Amino acid sequence: MEFIKNLRDVIRREVRLIRQRPIYLISSVAVMAFCSIFFLTLLRDGQPKDLPVGIVDYDNSSVSRNFTRQLDATQTCNTVQFSSFKEAREAMQTGKVSAICVIPDNMAEDIQANRRPVFTFYVNTLYFVGGTFAYKTILTMVNLTGGAVKREVLRAKGVNEDAIMGRIQPIRIDAHQIGNSTANYSVYLNSVLLPGILELSIILVLVYSLGAELKYGTSRHLMQKAGGSMGAAVLGKLIPYTLLFWSIGIFMDLLLYHWCRFPIEGSIWNMFAGTMVFVLSCEAVAITIIGLLPVLRDAISIAAIYSVLGFSLTGFTFPVEAMAPYIQGLAAAFPLRHYYMFYIQEAMYGTGFAGWHMEIVHLLLFLFVPLISIRRLEKAYVFQNFPRK
Amino acid sequence: MKKLFSFIRRWWSDFYAIMTHELKMIFSDSGVMVIFFLAGLAYPVIYNLIYANGSVDEMPIAVVDLSGSAESRSFTRKLDATREVDVAYRCTDMEEAERLMKEQKIRGIVMFPKDFDEKLARMEQATISTYADMSSFLYYKNLTMSMNYVMLDEARDIQMERYAAAGYAGEAAVQLVDALPYEENMPYNRTFAYSIFFLSAALMIVLQQTMFYGVSMLAGTMREENRSFAVMPDGLKGRGITRVIAGRGTAYWLIYIILGVYVACLIPYIFGLPQRGEFRDIFTLLMFYIPACVMFSFAFSSVIARRETVFVLFLFFSPVCLFLTGFSWPMESFPAFWRYFAYIFPSTFAARGFINLNTAGADLYMIRPEIIGLTVQTIVYYILSCISIYVENKIIHIKEKKSGSASGQFSTEVANSSNGF
Repeated sequence: MEFIKNLRDVIRREVRLIRQRPIYLISSVAVMAFCSIFFLTLLRDGQPKDLPVGIVDYDNSSVSRNFTRQLDATQTCNTVQFSSFKEAREAMQTGKVSAICVIPDNMAEDIQANRRPVFTFYVNTLYFVGGTFAYKTILTMVNLTGGAVKREVLRAKGVNEDAIMGRIQPIRIDAHQIGNSTANYSVYLNSVLLPGILELSIILVLVYSLGAELKYGTSRHLMQKAGGSMGAAVLGKLIPYTLLFWSIGIFMDLLLYHWCRFPIEGSIWNMFAGTMVFVLSCEAVAITIIGLLPVLRDAISIAAIYSVLGFSLTGFTFPVEAMAPYIQGLAAAFPLRHYYMFYIQEAMYGTGFAGWHMEIVHLLLFLFVPLISIRRLEKAYVFQNFPRK
Repeated sequence: MKKLFSFIRRWWSDFYAIMTHELKMIFSDSGVMVIFFLAGLAYPVIYNLIYANGSVDEMPIAVVDLSGSAESRSFTRKLDATREVDVAYRCTDMEEAERLMKEQKIRGIVMFPKDFDEKLARMEQATISTYADMSSFLYYKNLTMSMNYVMLDEARDIQMERYAAAGYAGEAAVQLVDALPYEENMPYNRTFAYSIFFLSAALMIVLQQTMFYGVSMLAGTMREENRSFAVMPDGLKGRGITRVIAGRGTAYWLIYIILGVYVACLIPYIFGLPQRGEFRDIFTLLMFYIPACVMFSFAFSSVIARRETVFVLFLFFSPVCLFLTGFSWPMESFPAFWRYFAYIFPSTFAARGFINLNTAGADLYMIRPEIIGLTVQTIVYYILSCISIYVENKIIHIKEKKSGSASGQFSTEVANSSNGF
């Protein structure tokens, strides 16, 4: 009973602190709102549109103009004419064009005369998405142009249309994208990036909140409110933030899978559950960091370095299995990694509990990690024997 | 004339004193040292270790061969031989392959339908179905590219046979099959290595972000301890704003020009990243980038009243800045608002300039728009920093008068706690 009363006092104190200092709400609610708006609007097209592609047309025939027009008509590419290769190359070196197509002199004539002119293209591979998509589109257009030439020849020979397709393109690839059928870049990135921002926000806000008690010497007041019980103190401080971050997390899931209609194979209720466990394990990481380093200024720097690294080590951009073996193990130290694995199972494959239960176990294991540092934090709270500056 | 000389001498000695004072502050602050030197030196190394391989090779896939024909086996063999994928499993049905996919043992499925060889024999168009794991775009890219290579290659062989059957042989068949041969070139980054995309942009971000966090931490500390640099002009009879900014700025500039050379020249050298730029060109870019970062940090650190709040409030800007460089999602596809928003950050220009110089082998003349952008930022943020010092100085004086305290020590504390976050 005593514990409950102490807990209630600490919660009341914490709610008052959150209301007094805007930093807590700004760095949780406002940061998540800004990042959601930023990343969802930045990538709203899903696939890049109107990538500038330089055309150096030495041929200037109806065939070459037709090629340029058709490339321009695709959603992905926008053609830009250059009079010389040098100009086009400089535009590519300065990132102004994603690719260059060089149409050789007399191409149309050479095709007619069966002299097999060589069409050359260059792809700017320094910009990931732009380069890949421009490459894919140009490759298709070149094959279509070549195909059109063959079609003409075969038609002239009186071959029927079905047989023509069999000759021009004997094998067709029917590509399916599992979990993201339209290869939407926004779906792919935001599904993990936004939870990553949430992780960053949780860790920083909690390290700051727990560390500020030390820095401003208010920890004794906190312990007094908690009736000397470290459990009541930490739990009481955490409960308001847990509720806050759970709401943000659920709002984020709703935003992604309901309002923005990101594809989800499983159920959104499972996503809610996963997100809530994810929030708890991020909180555990924050307690561990401030406990190991009970000096706010150092703990916050370490927390910052840790949470930025989390994005890379999660492996949603560059897969973990392609990293060096000694780096791969590190990935497990980030809650975001386990959330990502959970997300693949639930949202992409819809496997349900059977598929992701181990990931939830991993996330729950994080909750035991603070045990190694909680005593140290308690000593710091009680004795205030760590440097304040 | 004499007046001018004495002014210059005075200016120089103030400037020098402020600079050495700032350097002392930096080197005696463990938190700032962690950010400048641990993060600044270690991040580039860590990122290089994480992305050491650059590309995903031999990605495991499963083949479901329902046709079991010579053609499908030949296709599978060629697919297995590509650098991108490795045919790790051969499944008898789709269920088995799907199960492997869900267990994440494979990253893609290639399925040959029952009638694959029959259609080929009848000279019709045969279909192959592929299923890509979309949990990472690199899986999708690997499966698409390797399938494309093998498909075009196989298609060529089949076409040759078909034209031969139709009475075209030798050169005539080649002319039909390959009416328009093409040559693809991927200069700068032949294998689409992730390390090259990511690192070129990230290296510049590391410089700007670590400097901003370090500067803000120090500014916050000084404001907490009521010795904000905004009171410095008082000692210089209120006319020393330029000296304060130049002196403090030079301290950071000195540290960061060294870190900059380390990040932009030494790191690519150590880790074998492309180095197509001239050293003097990259150094010149740094000479424009570092001052822009210093002024940017000064201008924005004026909203930081307490030491630790900079991370809590602004750490999320690191991934935001990274995306604003356009290294991943192309700049051309940005909504207009974000394209202009990107101009706030020096890293936008610097990363683009650095990618073009160092990886694409451009020269200084070609990156002049970026250099101009950085120069404009330096000037604008310099003016903003001056204004913010002037305003902060006035606020401190007003608070002092209000509290009537002679020392002003106590009153600035009030100013900070009521203004700051």
